[in-house]
Amino acid sequence: MNLEAYRGLPSTVGGVGLDLVNAPMIRHWCEALGDANPAYAAAGPEAIAPPAMLQAWTMGPSGRREHFDALMRELDAAGYASVVATDCEQQYVRPLRIGERVLFDSDIESVSAEKHTTLGTGYFVTTRMDVRAYDEAAGEKPGDATPVGSHRFRILKFTPAERRERPQGVDAKALRPRPVVNRDNAGYWEGVAAGELRFQRCDDCAAARFPWLPGCNACGSDRWHAEAASGDGAVYSKVVVHHPLPPAFGTKPYPVALVELAEGVRIVANVLGAAPDEIGIGMPVRLGFQRHDDALLLPVFHPSGPDRLPPLRVPVTRTLIVAGALASRDYQEVHHDAEFARTKGAPDIFMNILTTNGLVGRYVTDWTGPDARVESIAIRLGVPAYPGDELQFSGEVTERGEDGRLMLAIRGTGRLGVHVSGTVKVRVKGASA
Amino acid sequence: MSLHRADTLGGRAAVVGIGATEFSKDSGRSELKLAVEAVHTALDDAGLTPGDVDGLVTFTMDTSPEITVAQAAGIGELSFFSRVHYGGGAACATVQQAAMAVATGVAEVVVCYRAFNERSGHRFGSGLQSRQPSAEGVAMGWTMPPGLLTPASWVALHAARYLHAYGLSPDVFGHVAVADRRHAANNPAAYFHGRPITLADHAASRWIVEPLRLLDCCQETDGGQALVVTSVERARDLPHAPAVVAAAAQGAGRAQEAMTSFYRDDLTGLPELGVVARQLWRTSGLRPADIDTAVLYDHFTPFVLMQLEEFGFCARGEAAAFAADGGLEMGGRLPVNTHGGQLGEAYLHGMNGIAEGVRQLRGSSVNQVADAKAVLVTAGTGVPTSGLVLTADG
Repeated sequence: MNLEAYRGLPSTVGGVGLDLVNAPMIRHWCEALGDANPAYAAAGPEAIAPPAMLQAWTMGPSGRREHFDALMRELDAAGYASVVATDCEQQYVRPLRIGERVLFDSDIESVSAEKHTTLGTGYFVTTRMDVRAYDEAAGEKPGDATPVGSHRFRILKFTPAERRERPQGVDAKALRPRPVVNRDNAGYWEGVAAGELRFQRCDDCAAARFPWLPGCNACGSDRWHAEAASGDGAVYSKVVVHHPLPPAFGTKPYPVALVELAEGVRIVANVLGAAPDEIGIGMPVRLGFQRHDDALLLPVFHPSGPDRLPPLRVPVTRTLIVAGALASRDYQEVHHDAEFARTKGAPDIFMNILTTNGLVGRYVTDWTGPDARVESIAIRLGVPAYPGDELQFSGEVTERGEDGRLMLAIRGTGRLGVHVSGTVKVRVKGASA
Repeated sequence: MSLHRADTLGGRAAVVGIGATEFSKDSGRSELKLAVEAVHTALDDAGLTPGDVDGLVTFTMDTSPEITVAQAAGIGELSFFSRVHYGGGAACATVQQAAMAVATGVAEVVVCYRAFNERSGHRFGSGLQSRQPSAEGVAMGWTMPPGLLTPASWVALHAARYLHAYGLSPDVFGHVAVADRRHAANNPAAYFHGRPITLADHAASRWIVEPLRLLDCCQETDGGQALVVTSVERARDLPHAPAVVAAAAQGAGRAQEAMTSFYRDDLTGLPELGVVARQLWRTSGLRPADIDTAVLYDHFTPFVLMQLEEFGFCARGEAAAFAADGGLEMGGRLPVNTHGGQLGEAYLHGMNGIAEGVRQLRGSSVNQVADAKAVLVTAGTGVPTSGLVLTADG
């Protein structure tokens, strides 16, 4: 194969959006992703489309794609028949409004050398699309189109690796060890189920204690009451577990922290929203919860502080995966047909990259409020998100520019590890965010 | 036993026989068979027979009951049998139990033993899956769902805080590993005989649980070790010079847990060994400077450093410098684990270390400390534990 010959060739020429930017598709997207941003729901000319929908307006057969199709056929014929999206980088020049029609052209930006990945062996193919639009409903013509944004997309065309023996995803054997519960600590786990982290306080000497015990080590009293922790704390110690890696903990080394709560007691828990190396002793953290499966909810901690976004928990339901795929007009079977997904080596259907992209956009604008303007989203996928998982989004302001521009580092963590990491550039009005 | 006064056990009993199986990765026989072989070898070494034995002591974790070992070893009636809890923390306490039985006349000859196929059978490092909802299970259960499942992970959480508190890097643990492996290299019985390592080897070994590398973790072993204890008076009639139990102590700290004492104090020490240390010094009348060589429990290197501080061989936070100066090696301030330790010789839950203490007093160690008269031996760290001061007779 001479894949290098494809570099720089047109991927899509003369693409025209099949539908005008329209309220029903926007509503469908917002419902699927749980995005309640009023900027998208407004009636009338001030309504804008969610920026992360950019690619959705370009989906479907349109334009000439002979070079891209030839590249795919060549890779298919060579045995690299599976495909997965790995990266999505979108820049938004201006919002799209209802009644606009998009025009788009794209190039094959690069084809990598053969790469060996955990999924299998194959080639990364990167395309870059320019999107323009004009207000057709208001009588504008294609010649009036102005730039809307660009969209760089990277897929891996690959031959799946030998199926690993290790059970993955929803396999029962991949569940985390269960809490050990008896009469002495049942109140703690009832608290967790109620969204509280409860410690004990001695009624006689007022000493706070954790772990739960029926008596006080400070004075011996058996009179106590439970209190809910405020949720603020700091990392007291931290390790990164490399070996062994039980299936329930994913395939990458995972951090575990000892957190000292503001009330003075300590608890062992996971810290989400930061890479293992970024979790330092002394780091301020804030309580959250993470659902691992139907029967297991655990307290977790997120880095806290003025530059940290509050975490967002998104249950990965079958409905979210399927509705998100359809809202982004992505009909790949692996996103809605579990039996088909299994034939491709996945344990179940999994979330498509455009849904993940949309959730990242939603997470950011949930925090900034509707007046903010998202200028770019660049994400890379990690472990897949399967039904039954729960994504925990966390974010940090990494740069504060003048004119209200913020650079955010965003991370979405599921029970098998980091599902998505990326950066978002957003411009906020005023300095409130 | 007293937290505040010297006890009256010191000088009453002695270790008179030591015996072990080979240390392997796959013994090819049952744990009971290993135990019986070790008991016989130790009795031979002591110049005694199974018919002399009237007491047996082991660990609660051992799978070979005293009565079954007695049956298979040709031992008859027993007037004393006992088991000590908390994993490797039991090692020196088995000798304490035996000494107490001998000192009180409850028994005359007591054999302490520990045997397992920890490598070819159940491996402690494979990770917990579940625990029963007993008090003990609940205590362990707090750390399992977030993913602390192995001894290495529990120790690492202490080690990380220790490094942070004193501004050290994980490389400091390498000095312990290098000393152990250098000693093991001279020891034909050691699994790592002839295979010393360098600090660079340590620093290049893979992470197990950061900040612990592979070479910070002890090996896993199949084998058995037994020790024969009797009165000092009787010991003087036996073939080997007695290793007198000058002091024996157990210790548990306040708010003690088994491996998971994360919720108390500042995590930079081993308070349970402080309890042991105070009693050993008080009862033996010795001080750190009187100790010629020590066997410090080394399932993981960080706790060797903390033991040096807890026993007063150096000040808090200074053990890394102590070790970096070659302080743990032959000719150093305190030669440690001259058999190679559990990193180098074998992981026998600390029982092989007691045998090395006895050899030092007999003058028969492969890394003999000249004219060794007093040896400190410790048991499992991070758990309720125990220790011994063994001295030459007279």
